[in-house]
Amino acid sequence: MKLKLKQNREFGILAILIVVSTVIGLNSSAFFTVENLFDILKSNVVLGMLAIGMLLVILTGGIDVSVGSMIAAVTVVVGQFLVHVTGNVVLAILVGTAAGTFLGVINGILIAKMRIPPIVVTLGTMSIIIGLTLYITNGTWITGVPDNFINFGRLTIGSFYRQGDDMIGLPVQFLFLVFTAILTWFMLKFTLFGRGIYAIGGSRASAQRVGYNLDRITIFLYAYEGFIIGLAGVVHTSIMRQVDPNAFSGFEMQVIAAVVLGGASTLGGYGSVFGTILGVALFTVINNGLILMHIPTFWQKIVVGIVLITSIGFDVVQKRYWENHTTKVDIEEA
Amino acid sequence: MIHVSTEKLIRRFKNKEAVLFLIFILLFALMSLISPGRFLTWRNLQSMAYQLPEFGIFAIAMMVVIVSGGINLSITFTAALASIVGGLVLSTLSAAGTPSAIVIIAGIATFLVVALACGALNGLVVASIGVTPMLATLGTMTLFEGVCLNITKGGAISGFPDAFLWFGGGTVLGVPFPLIVFILVVIATHYIMERSAFGLKAYMTGCNPTVTAYSGVNVKKILYGIYLFSGLLCALAGILMSSRYNSAKESYGSSYLMQGISAAVLGGTDIAGGYGKVAGTVIAVMILQVISTGLNIFGVNRYITNVIMGGILILVLALNLIGRGEKAIA
Repeated sequence: MKLKLKQNREFGILAILIVVSTVIGLNSSAFFTVENLFDILKSNVVLGMLAIGMLLVILTGGIDVSVGSMIAAVTVVVGQFLVHVTGNVVLAILVGTAAGTFLGVINGILIAKMRIPPIVVTLGTMSIIIGLTLYITNGTWITGVPDNFINFGRLTIGSFYRQGDDMIGLPVQFLFLVFTAILTWFMLKFTLFGRGIYAIGGSRASAQRVGYNLDRITIFLYAYEGFIIGLAGVVHTSIMRQVDPNAFSGFEMQVIAAVVLGGASTLGGYGSVFGTILGVALFTVINNGLILMHIPTFWQKIVVGIVLITSIGFDVVQKRYWENHTTKVDIEEA
Repeated sequence: MIHVSTEKLIRRFKNKEAVLFLIFILLFALMSLISPGRFLTWRNLQSMAYQLPEFGIFAIAMMVVIVSGGINLSITFTAALASIVGGLVLSTLSAAGTPSAIVIIAGIATFLVVALACGALNGLVVASIGVTPMLATLGTMTLFEGVCLNITKGGAISGFPDAFLWFGGGTVLGVPFPLIVFILVVIATHYIMERSAFGLKAYMTGCNPTVTAYSGVNVKKILYGIYLFSGLLCALAGILMSSRYNSAKESYGSSYLMQGISAAVLGGTDIAGGYGKVAGTVIAVMILQVISTGLNIFGVNRYITNVIMGGILILVLALNLIGRGEKAIA
């Protein structure tokens, strides 16, 4: 029955996505163009990757509000490395993921060892990380990224569509999202670590009794999230070709909203990579639709807030409904 | 078992508040010794007396919610939204030439109504729908910020009547008015939380909402009360803040969110709910204020001040862990 419920939920998100896309498409002819769709894809790869990282945290029943500051720190490290050391893409990825993993491990150790709500810990680390980042950069942009890195960012896979003289193809950044999604899906589905994450989200006490090492899973989880953030930082730099240390202030809310929209339960233990991808797509389409329909950008925060509250509220109400439903059956049988 | 743990708690916190106060005295003395000409001056003390109340009121608004087993991430944007809507009323009425007494009364009323509405929304989502407070207020925080931005379009609201500036800068018998408000808030909160049936029920809810409900307490009502009270305090902080800045903007006071949590936790409030004292929070606020003013005087970069404040939060949580010993395993 659980499987059926899960399929229903993701099917529901997909249905909403199709309806919303159709409405926007009918209102704006610019929406369903290959150009716009590839544009949406490229500009939301980072959101998608961070959402997959956040999904893991939410699955354990936690929330990480430090992702915005972490990716800001990573982009600054990557930017400095590219400008002052080398424009080598592989080395940049290594440096970025190392920086991200390092920050993630710090979060993980603090959360695992202190047994304090992750949101409070990450609120503290957020302020430390963003403070240091802004102090070091003084809030200024890093420019002058070497050409070979910029060229890497412009790469496309194939060319599908001719727009004037420009060939438009699938942006290379998309591969990173696919890589992250498949790797995370595999880990969640087939490894002890992944099953442990679901177990912790379901019930910490039970997970411990079954024999999972909660501390080790927690630290590894945040380290892996940091790794994804590091990768996303490199991808972001390759898209923007410069680094703005302030670019991600408040970004964590969008990431959380996308994950929650994707059907992950904020109470932990429930959610999937596929659902998260759908959530990111839905969130992105709504935002893009607002722009295409010429609704002022100030409305976006309101939409994010309303989407967050209603989807979390719906989640809780639905869970309560199921619980009531189950109890009733028990009583009747007894 | 409950008996033992309460006794232990009381003993620990009696010590803890004394220790906190000692830390405050030491820090104050240290700052005064290091730079007597700049820290221990009438002017600096006065400027601290104007800054402390806003921070203190936010910290108490945070503390009462944490005590009830939740957290209110929307405090700063509740204050901002109240300031912006209230500021709009103030400036519009004032520009229309309405007598200043009516302008002030209407303006203050708007502050209170808007903040209470924000509190009621939090209460609705947390108590009636049953969403985890952390996520509920995360959502409302984003929502309030969005509404703020939508009204101001990213700018600031200004053009308040001169009489309004008295709230943030005036004195009564030589005592800064904000300080008087703060003292009143502290006394009121002390009585509401630690001397009334409502307060006791709020602490019980924070300890264990299920057991509290089975004891015949209307937990929903208590939670509504807590979030409304928190909203009311945000309105007061918003009034002081917008009066002091002579304008209203969505980003004003946003750093008080993290500092508010830090102050509550540093003051001995259990982040899991059920324990926390107004006195502890107030001493913690004074400690953090002395640190931030001191750092400012020493010319420390404001980003580094953020880093230090975040570090203090983590450090205090870590120290609490050591105090808690190995008994914390769920």
